[in-house]
Amino acid sequence: MMRVRMLWHLVKADFLTRVRRTSFLLTLGFAVFVGYETFAGGIVMSLDDYRGVYNSAWVGALMAVVTSCFLSLVAFYIVKGSVQRDVETRVGQILAATPMSKSFYTVAKALGNFAVLAAMVGVMAAAALLMQLMRGEDRVVHVGALLGPLVLLSLPVMAVVASVAVLFETLPVLRGGLGNVVWFFLWIALLAAGVPEKLIRGGVLDRSAEWRDLMGLGTVLASARMSLLQVDPGFRNGFALNIGGERPSHTFVWTGMEWTGALLATRVGWMMLAVLVALLAAVFFHRFDPAREWWRRSRTPKTVEKRAPVEALAAAKAIVEEDAWRRGVTPLDRVGARTNFGQLVVAELRLMLQGQRWWWYAGAVGLSIACLASPPAAERGGVILAAWIWPMLLWSQMGSREARWSTGALLYSAPRTLGRQLPAAWVAGVLVAMATGGGLAIRLALAGDAQGLAGWAAGAMFIPSLALALGIWSGSGKWFEALYTAWWYIGPLHHTPGLDFMGTTAGSSRPILYLAMAGVLMASCWVRRRAQLGYA
Amino acid sequence: MNPAPTFSETLEKRGAGLKLTIESVGKNYRGKVWALRGFTLELRPGVLGLLGPNGAGKTTLMSILATITRATEGRVLWDGADVAKDPDKLRSVLGYLPQDFGVYPNLNAVEFLEYLAAVKGLDAATSRRRIDELLQVVNLSDVRKRPLGGFSGGMKQRVGIAQALLNDPELLIVDEPTAGLDPEERVRFRNLLAELPGERIVILSTHIVSDVEATATEIALISGGRLVAQAAPEELLRRVEGRVWEWVVPSAELARVREAFRVSSTARRSDGVRVRVLTEDPPRDAQPAVPTLEDAYLDALALHRAGVRETGVTA
Repeated sequence: MMRVRMLWHLVKADFLTRVRRTSFLLTLGFAVFVGYETFAGGIVMSLDDYRGVYNSAWVGALMAVVTSCFLSLVAFYIVKGSVQRDVETRVGQILAATPMSKSFYTVAKALGNFAVLAAMVGVMAAAALLMQLMRGEDRVVHVGALLGPLVLLSLPVMAVVASVAVLFETLPVLRGGLGNVVWFFLWIALLAAGVPEKLIRGGVLDRSAEWRDLMGLGTVLASARMSLLQVDPGFRNGFALNIGGERPSHTFVWTGMEWTGALLATRVGWMMLAVLVALLAAVFFHRFDPAREWWRRSRTPKTVEKRAPVEALAAAKAIVEEDAWRRGVTPLDRVGARTNFGQLVVAELRLMLQGQRWWWYAGAVGLSIACLASPPAAERGGVILAAWIWPMLLWSQMGSREARWSTGALLYSAPRTLGRQLPAAWVAGVLVAMATGGGLAIRLALAGDAQGLAGWAAGAMFIPSLALALGIWSGSGKWFEALYTAWWYIGPLHHTPGLDFMGTTAGSSRPILYLAMAGVLMASCWVRRRAQLGYA
Repeated sequence: MNPAPTFSETLEKRGAGLKLTIESVGKNYRGKVWALRGFTLELRPGVLGLLGPNGAGKTTLMSILATITRATEGRVLWDGADVAKDPDKLRSVLGYLPQDFGVYPNLNAVEFLEYLAAVKGLDAATSRRRIDELLQVVNLSDVRKRPLGGFSGGMKQRVGIAQALLNDPELLIVDEPTAGLDPEERVRFRNLLAELPGERIVILSTHIVSDVEATATEIALISGGRLVAQAAPEELLRRVEGRVWEWVVPSAELARVREAFRVSSTARRSDGVRVRVLTEDPPRDAQPAVPTLEDAYLDALALHRAGVRETGVTA
């Protein structure tokens, strides 16, 4: 009983800490936005040219699938950081001194994450009800059909996300930006594993494959397909969950999921897996022991000069008595002792690069050489993609470093922060882009490809602008890591026109658009930083 | 040929006429709580000890003076110029040690100070020289190449002190600077502060009276966001002269004494408890005692609180 009470209070405190932050309102706002987009037809679930009539079953399933497939990506970035928050607030050290076990803590943290994500699902449930009533195609509300998919499909997804976020936080390698990138590709893999095409064998739903479909998309569409076949026996396959795009012109009536025992067991199985992941996190959890921080272990010199206490005391007293300040510090000559902007850029650049290992530099040099040496077609469409994803974790620190390490008061009390430090940080970011991808610019210039060069330059300026803006506004690097990885995947990697900020092909390059966006983002940085300064 | 100016002469010449004026400054948080209200003070070169209990508004005032927080009402003037209109004039001569601050754990002390020196606008040669000297002063030369992430709280605090002194500030604001320092480092820092002023303004905010006792040339007492008193330490001590008494009571009577008198301190002895009391009407066996700044501080706060209770307003 006592353990249940402990768990309840841990989860409650964690939940209250988050819901009282502005970011929670933004989280719910995002859920409302996605719900509205779905309602307005911006997100469409279809089977070829068909969609279901907006009855409780279709609307509930649609909202559940949107929640599972889209919100799950963002959900991870929303909840990741709860363990780190306990480190930063030093509450963790207090908790570590209690009898609470490691597994108890990680499970509690996963439940806290889950509570936040369940609130998002709650918003989507409200949106589902409103959507059905306002669409008016079928005004009879069947609560089970409307909410069933959200409870049985979306909540297990959120449970897995909640636990994976805790697991990543306890693994030193995945705690930082790399974990944010890894999650994106893990999410892609989870999405791909459950696509409807993989669940249908010989024209019928393969029930034995349902366990693969965490997101529930394939399960829903495969079930809807059975209803559609009665209306249009000629329907083959053509499943889609699209953002934007054409809206289907035909409808059919779908009465909802068939919640078989096997399917329910699968969903419970995913919930159990979430618990196991949370328990696994306990194995790696450092229990707030600073000695288990990797960077402290590896960077502390192996031999530290040790003096006998008496000797050290005598030395310190000698310095006190000899009037160190008067002897030791030369008054500053205020005339001429001023740094130029270039020196500040170098300082920002050094700050960005601090802590990088040799292999990072080796990779960066390798990519620079590859940009110079590869055939033009390959480098524009290929090597540059690698060259500009490699420094992502350097860029993601831009703008958020002051909030993350609480150095804001030191910086913001310095002169001309707005006019010098902010632009210097941006220039440092551009220099990183130029250093890793500069080979391509040289090749394009030599080839006289002005349009290609413009696309490259726009990319080199846009990326640090995006990083700086997201860092300054959110106070965290994770939003850049999440958005940049997804954007890089959808835009440049697939040469998608309009989304290709690197200008990887002549057809997809939009230099003017991205230069303009860089300008807007930098203006937003200026506005935000100005507000952060007491007096600007 | 004139001889080169001495250290003190350089400082005095540079700081001649320095003045920080705080005019009716107030700070309201979210339209509800006034952390500071009608605060007026004029500062000339010297060390001002800003004393007050927890939550008195010291850190809010420090943040406003350090240009981190904007005052809701009133003005701060540096050498006659409104800080709100030209904050960089003050920032270029400001050294600030916040109560809570962080460091970049992957950098060592030299790299961190080099970065802040560049942000503050110091050239490379000057910053290298000053960083060397300051690391000596704060006793961190031996660990200059160790990542800051491995530093103890006291060592980080000393890095904070060094960064505040990087630009040889004319206005030095230090908020609870001795927090986390061991007794020896505390003495060291007090000596440093006492030697610093020359012709500069130092504001030392703390609730530790002994820190102020050792260094301040002037003291401002703050409570409930209001200025309670501003005077030289000697003047504050004069106010309690003849009102500090000591006597020994049996342990069992201590609670009764606490109820009847304003007790400044107590000390256990073999024959009971020696109580130190601020009163106009001492018992017959009490002995007069030499007042300390702590007595003066407690007396001023108690009088202020009594005034608040009587009038129902917070100053």
